[in-house]
Amino acid sequence: MNKKQIVSSSLLLIAIILLALLPLMTKKNSTINLVILLLLYMTLASSWNILGGYTGQTNLGHAAFFGIGSLITRLLWIGGIPFSIAFLAGGIGAVALALLIGIPAFKLRGVYFAIGTLALAQILNLTVSNIFPEMSYNPNLADYQLMPRYYLFLVLAILTIGSAYFLVNSKWGLGMMAVREGEDAAESLGISALKHKLLALSVSAFFAGLVGGAFAYYHVSYYLSMPFGPEWTFDPMMMAYIGGTGTIIGPIIGAVFFVGLKQFLVWNVGEYHLIIFGTLFILIVLFLPGGLVEAWNKSRRLLQSRTGQKKNRVVPIT
Amino acid sequence: MLLQAKSITHYFGGLCAVSDFNLDLQAGELVGIIGPNGAGKTTIFNLITGVYRSTQGSFQFEGTELVGLRSNRITDLGIARTFQNIRLFQELTVLDNVRIANYGQIHYSPFVSLFHIGRFGLEEDRTIDEAMDLLAVFKLEDYADETSKNLPYGLQRRLEIARALATHPKLLLLDEPAAGMNPNEIMLLMDFIQWIRQEFKLTIILIEHQMRLVMGICERIKVLDFGATIAEGLPAEIQNNPKVLEAYLGEGAEL
Repeated sequence: MNKKQIVSSSLLLIAIILLALLPLMTKKNSTINLVILLLLYMTLASSWNILGGYTGQTNLGHAAFFGIGSLITRLLWIGGIPFSIAFLAGGIGAVALALLIGIPAFKLRGVYFAIGTLALAQILNLTVSNIFPEMSYNPNLADYQLMPRYYLFLVLAILTIGSAYFLVNSKWGLGMMAVREGEDAAESLGISALKHKLLALSVSAFFAGLVGGAFAYYHVSYYLSMPFGPEWTFDPMMMAYIGGTGTIIGPIIGAVFFVGLKQFLVWNVGEYHLIIFGTLFILIVLFLPGGLVEAWNKSRRLLQSRTGQKKNRVVPIT
Repeated sequence: MLLQAKSITHYFGGLCAVSDFNLDLQAGELVGIIGPNGAGKTTIFNLITGVYRSTQGSFQFEGTELVGLRSNRITDLGIARTFQNIRLFQELTVLDNVRIANYGQIHYSPFVSLFHIGRFGLEEDRTIDEAMDLLAVFKLEDYADETSKNLPYGLQRRLEIARALATHPKLLLLDEPAAGMNPNEIMLLMDFIQWIRQEFKLTIILIEHQMRLVMGICERIKVLDFGATIAEGLPAEIQNNPKVLEAYLGEGAEL
């Protein structure tokens, strides 16, 4: 390991330890709930990024996988099946749904996948709200504890980000990026674009489904169609773009930035925060397509060339 | 016989892009395909490599029918290509561009990728070593960590050929490798193509506009015009063929 790797892995370790010890440091449930929200978004944004950022396939219906995971887990768990099994079933259900839309859509090139996923999430949203119009309540409210929920979200976030990291630093990840950079060229080198897209989609949907299951475990009462809402697609997508798509750290930074800014704006300007977020998103896509990660790398390069350290080539943080 | 094309015909809608194309390619040959813009040259490459599926006819590569196979399968059989407009993976490093092409030789499952267990490290190290060796052969090793879009144009062309060779092909399809090069660079490219041909024991099909290059190194030339093969033969024969002159310069032209 070189110096940079030691620094970044010790920072990572400290962050994980701090998060693991958080419940000992604060007794305020509101803080824990806020961090849960943050971890949930990190998981969603990172899982979206595997397909959208690394493989270049725009998924406009990530909520479908989040929603189906939460639906399956909730129904099984409330129906009396042990949570661990219900939780896993949610992830597997999401993969099944992903393959159902992915196999036909990826055989065609172009916008079909984006439109297909957008439609899928909307159809599921409507269907689920028609089939289950009633609010879903957690029947065992007396046993409800926040801590197991918190640690479930924490472990899930670590698992998702870790898997994304390991996957993209393998031949499969390299193949995914090749497909993003040019499908014809990738295929001409023996890479099956379809296989790589489906792999990225499956991993992406699996973690979205699992975090959906965690959501179902965490929320006391909600409408079952709620996790299918478009905000569960577009907020994580925006986080990935704000932080930097196609990087591991991007969605994490994006989620922190997004949640922080949203809290701040909701307190100060109320509903107008939506306008500000919309504008911010457009500005970033137009002027900073690599997100905050790119801004950081660029400014460092600028600073280094100013101070004459041109020899030290900046290694982009990924 | 390495590659045999039998009456290949391809339509884009009502437009006949290639009609009745035939080719018998022996192992070790270097064949040129020339013709005016829009003659169907690149379409033939796209048909061989499975980007398009030909409307009629067959391609036999060492006895295997190519028509109907996916591009990546055809690459696995031993056919590699470059593109007319360079198609490197722009945001990836020079090393990664070549590493990707080593793909067929790496064997571990996505599951192994998720945990970096088992043979992962071994296979990855081997691939990186192989890719670095190849880059060294092409004098690109100093650029290994550079993002490929930052390379100068000539090196991008060279990298694209290196990348194609990383798939260990028997047949290499070069689509206008001299595009945008000056006469001096074309001379160097001619030597370079001869050299990789021997070094990697390749059979090559070359599409080119630069007559200097085609006439200089190809043993056999096919001339296409509006999808049809209008002439075929040795470079000297092609140069004096009235049909070829007509296609390039118009009727009644004399040289």
